[in-house]
Amino acid sequence: MKKEVLAWVLAAVPLVGIVELGLHVKQTTSDVVPDEDWIAARDAVKAKLQPDDLVIFAPFWADPNGRRWFGDELAGIKREARPDETRFHLAYEVGIRGAHRPELEGWKKVEERSTGKITIGVYENPSFAKVWSDLVDLVAPDRLTVSRVDGAAETPCPWTRGPGQPGGLGVPQGPAVPGDKFVCGGGATVGVAVLHALDHHPHLCIFATPMGAGNAALRMRFSGVVFGASLHGHSGVQWVNERTPSPERINVAFSAFDRPIGQNVHRVGSGWTGFEFPTPELASKKGDLVAEVTGAGPHAYCFEADTRDVTP
Amino acid sequence: MTRVRGWARANPDPFIGAGIALVYVVWLVATARSLGFSRDEGFYFGASTDYSRWFAMLFESPSKAVERGTIDAIWSNNHEHPSLMKSLFAISHMLFHDKWKLFADDSTAFRFPGMLMMGLALYVTYMFAARAYSRRAGVIAAIALGLMPRVFYHAHLACFDVPIMAMWITCIYVYWRADKEGGLGWALLAGVVYGLTLETKHNAWMLPAVFLPHALVVHGRSMSRYAAKSSRIPVPSSLVAMATVGPAVFVLLWPWLWNDTLPRIQEYVNFHVHHEYYNIEFLGQTYFGPPSPRSYMPVMIMATVPTITLVLFAIGAIDRARVLLGRFSLWAGEAIGRRLAWPKDAGDVPRDRQQTDLLVFLAIAVALGPFLLPRTPIFGGTKHWITAYPFLAILAGRGFDLVWLRVEALIARRATLDDTKRLVAQAAVLAVSFGGALATTIHSHPFGLSAYVPFAGGTAGGADLGLNRQFWGFTTESLAPWLAENSKPGETFYFMDTAWASWVRMQEEKRLPPLRGVGSPADAELSIVHHEQHMNEVDYNIWTEYRSSTPAYVLTHDGVPIITVYRRTPRSSTGGPIRRN
Repeated sequence: MKKEVLAWVLAAVPLVGIVELGLHVKQTTSDVVPDEDWIAARDAVKAKLQPDDLVIFAPFWADPNGRRWFGDELAGIKREARPDETRFHLAYEVGIRGAHRPELEGWKKVEERSTGKITIGVYENPSFAKVWSDLVDLVAPDRLTVSRVDGAAETPCPWTRGPGQPGGLGVPQGPAVPGDKFVCGGGATVGVAVLHALDHHPHLCIFATPMGAGNAALRMRFSGVVFGASLHGHSGVQWVNERTPSPERINVAFSAFDRPIGQNVHRVGSGWTGFEFPTPELASKKGDLVAEVTGAGPHAYCFEADTRDVTP
Repeated sequence: MTRVRGWARANPDPFIGAGIALVYVVWLVATARSLGFSRDEGFYFGASTDYSRWFAMLFESPSKAVERGTIDAIWSNNHEHPSLMKSLFAISHMLFHDKWKLFADDSTAFRFPGMLMMGLALYVTYMFAARAYSRRAGVIAAIALGLMPRVFYHAHLACFDVPIMAMWITCIYVYWRADKEGGLGWALLAGVVYGLTLETKHNAWMLPAVFLPHALVVHGRSMSRYAAKSSRIPVPSSLVAMATVGPAVFVLLWPWLWNDTLPRIQEYVNFHVHHEYYNIEFLGQTYFGPPSPRSYMPVMIMATVPTITLVLFAIGAIDRARVLLGRFSLWAGEAIGRRLAWPKDAGDVPRDRQQTDLLVFLAIAVALGPFLLPRTPIFGGTKHWITAYPFLAILAGRGFDLVWLRVEALIARRATLDDTKRLVAQAAVLAVSFGGALATTIHSHPFGLSAYVPFAGGTAGGADLGLNRQFWGFTTESLAPWLAENSKPGETFYFMDTAWASWVRMQEEKRLPPLRGVGSPADAELSIVHHEQHMNEVDYNIWTEYRSSTPAYVLTHDGVPIITVYRRTPRSSTGGPIRRN
């Protein structure tokens, strides 16, 4: 009996080839999402999307396809390279292959529709927080002054416009140095660029590096900041540095109205990590916010912060 | 003539093997133009061009050619790899492109020896399986080897991976034949072939781990008897030749080693022993140093070798392992003076003085074994253990034998098969079995490194699993149709992971529109990123530079992004921070 079964099993082995062929045909034809479906999905999302809403593509590897068809208006850098999802009220998840992004775990699905092979899920953020001022948006000479502080000496860093340095042909190439930036003595710069974080995701943030050796600090004074009930932010180091943990610590200390708000310590190796400081006494006030970065050394350190309502 | 025909009729195997090889090489040549140049090819094109100057000098002014200054000036280029294949690339270019104009593209002439090496691999794989198991097993083995998408990709290249695969099996085959046939001729041939294998790639250093245990099992008893009588250890002549003729051939064929021989061999060895680790993604994580994941090799084999081949391999391997166990049981029984109870059918196992099954298993184990060690770099993907594949295919051929016997028995219950019907039935079973592998291999071109087998979900399945999408930047050429429609002559183009030499070659052969290559997105109207996880950095840097995350185009394979193209827009240059959306 056993031999008979074995004989049948062996004789059935060529069927593996048939299944292989069938799967191949399916995967290379009907499983592939046509351009029309992306265009239809874009039009469907565009009709409803609000400024506080997020567009997110699933799985992550399909992101270039999504960006191509949705464009900067719907899936520009601010949405793509977001610090996290808390600032968005609704998320439009444009997914293929039944994929779902882990970032939306815990969000409530309020709607779902399909455009061909694409599923658009609309999710509601259970902890939406209204953002009042985003420091990344304020990095320009009209809203920010930067200086390098060496002990008692404070040297202003002028704003410059010029060609960017986005890297060459080799990898790793480090973060792009933006063309528009504050340039400080010792080679440090302050400017907005997209960080390649340890999790390989993009984050738009304020690079404040490199500082080189010594105890110098980079002081940034943002003007006209509208405060909320908290200061919420993140910090990170370019992935190629971050992937090898080290005992180094990079600090960013925040203050306003000559009073400290809080200090975040970034451990090299911890990846893109968040922080939040309560500022109830500053809520609804408008004034200068000072951020002071120390200890960055040679690392491509980047941070971002916003003022917002307290996360429920 | 009649005698030749008679011999050919009595010895069809070389013709069958050569026929399979010929068809495959023609297929490779026919598809070569649509495959862009990998990074390493760019370097080898350059080195081979230098070497061809030396070969020309060797004929025109031999005494000058062998001067140290001349040798060092030319052969120092790319001396981290031995010279055999690059010399063949050079000679092929001199003959098939420059002299006889057989190939219009320089690159095809450079690549041709690599393609011929694939032909050699198929030929020897067929011969080995046909002699060891059956002619049918030989045919299936060659087909199984040829229908591996990764092998098909690498077989196009002017690189060393398929050549070392070919030399690995050729060396083992010649050793096996030398052991079987005996005589000085076969032994010397084994020595020469081992030298050529050393001269092909450093995988050859591992071959003694195949030969020595095998020789010990085959000749151990007679060696110990002889040693006891004469107090000398008799070593098989093929091994002696490999240990003496092999290194001599290695040095003789590599002019760079003609001066400062030992320090330079030391330098060559050190380069590979202390090779840096490159980035490679596996299951969503980019590895850049030890420890390497032990599951990498088995998972990648399952994800890239057609499943039918693996199933047939498993059947063949189990069958031959049973036979090996039977032989071991007999041997152990003889040693202790009584027959062992297990396996039950050990007595039925035919004797094999050459221990062919053991040799096949050793050839696979030695090729794969290092990839279970945590310090072995994994950045080469499947190509670094490609030497195991011909033997994997041989056991798949044996597996097919067993499957066919069962199929035939089932058919025989209902119908009688004459020779013609039997042949047709076998062809039908073969077609059913390998139709998927054939379709997958054809479809994988020219994205061979992005392709994963259907049971792994295909290309999209590989992306879902977080497996490496590509490396070497060769896919740039696949942008040609889009660039032809969407770029202007002379526009600046940042080509990212493509090596400069590969880019120049693609331009010279008019494989891409006449763009001006630049080394940074800062200087480029058009910039690309080859999608690999660790290269997301380049993607994001382009966003910063162009102030936009919107691609102008995404080159995909089965919907999976391979290359994203960005175009600088007026907004990219207006300045100010990135604020929009």
